[in-house]
Amino acid sequence: MATVWRSQCAFARFFAGKTGLILNNTADLGSKVRPDSISVSKRLYSNYGNSPFVRRIQEQYEFEVVKNPPEWSYVERLLPFEGIPKVTPKESYPSGWIPRKEEASNLPYFLQRTKNEELSIYLDISCRGMRKISKVKKIEGDIWLLNDELKEYLKKRYNRYIESRVHELSKFIEFKGDYVNALKEWAHSKGF
Amino acid sequence: MASLLINALKKIHISTPQIRSSFFSSSAPREVWIENMDTVEEKKLGLFELHPLVYAATPRIDIIQRNVTWQRKFRWVSWAHTKTRAEVRGGGKKPWPQKGLGRARHGSIRSPLFRGGGVAHGPRAGKTHFFMLPFHLRIHGLTSTLSAKLAQDDLHVVKDLELPSDEPEYLIDLIESRNWGPSVLIVDDTDYAPRNLTVASDSLPHVNIMPVYGLNVYSMLKHDTLILTQSAAEKIEGRILHLLHSDTKKQQAEFKLDQV
Repeated sequence: MATVWRSQCAFARFFAGKTGLILNNTADLGSKVRPDSISVSKRLYSNYGNSPFVRRIQEQYEFEVVKNPPEWSYVERLLPFEGIPKVTPKESYPSGWIPRKEEASNLPYFLQRTKNEELSIYLDISCRGMRKISKVKKIEGDIWLLNDELKEYLKKRYNRYIESRVHELSKFIEFKGDYVNALKEWAHSKGF
Repeated sequence: MASLLINALKKIHISTPQIRSSFFSSSAPREVWIENMDTVEEKKLGLFELHPLVYAATPRIDIIQRNVTWQRKFRWVSWAHTKTRAEVRGGGKKPWPQKGLGRARHGSIRSPLFRGGGVAHGPRAGKTHFFMLPFHLRIHGLTSTLSAKLAQDDLHVVKDLELPSDEPEYLIDLIESRNWGPSVLIVDDTDYAPRNLTVASDSLPHVNIMPVYGLNVYSMLKHDTLILTQSAAEKIEGRILHLLHSDTKKQQAEFKLDQV
């Protein structure tokens, strides 16, 4: 409360000049200067429009409200997307990104893509870089069949047995070792 | 011009999200009956389709458990309190001389070694257990619980919440005859439930009403049956699907206590 009273006094001091009854540190005088004895109209000075130095805003800025102006399309161009935009079909994409194909949905298993249309196949490096685990996530359908086929594929490609771990509830398979690129190639070849 | 721009921006953000149909053919929409509340006997008013991403997700019990733990912990302030050796009364005087008695050296009878002494490293009051579960675990907690409820036939969709009377007996009979409950959580998309329902459920502690924004994993598990109005089911679906298919960097950012 004291700070409010002091700030009101500050304004009063400003307007009254030397003729006023206001001394320094007026808030401490208390009984001598009451808030109603000073004619300060209650205004919110933190607002630009209410400031005593601002007059006739209407005349300073001439404006009229226009519905659907042709320039609005330029504003729309700058607005953020409301969601993640849909993929526009093209022959090839300069980034190397490969779209998914319809034929993939005929398989007994399915790899879902993320909301950003990326394959969810990741490399997990732990134990100070000593343990590398490739993780295939978001698997729908027959996860055990997918596990068998992926193991077979990796065995043929690398000529050795590769350990895997299937987590049915969380819908992922992990392979011991860094096989992310091989797994991604396989997924793209199947149309995922 | 500025207000026009702000209004336009608001409109764009409120508009319904574009929902992509799931690519995998087996995830078909789940059909449920729309039931009524205005008679004790069940009437099937129509069919309603629920989106499989929200109502037929894999029920990840681990995520549900983490949500429950989070909900119990984030509001828990532990008031367990022990006194240290400085706070226990007395113990200022040295109990016996340092040397010459053949006894162990001690400086205070309130040291943690003494019976009736202070506690070393004991609990101190006002310990908050607040933490924030990652955003997508909260979202998947909701979808998992909703899916589990639907799969167990514990989720029902009703057209509206209009009851013919405000007698609690009517509500009890209705819940009994429909094989709901005993505890029932009713979720509507507005803050204001019809008067008959609020009066009838007022004396029934196991029948609770909740708006859509209050829906949470703990309450869904606490109640046996979850009753959604049609509009509430749509709103939950739209909101969760929007969050599943949009950029959530803002929601995923680190939670700060002073940002509100």
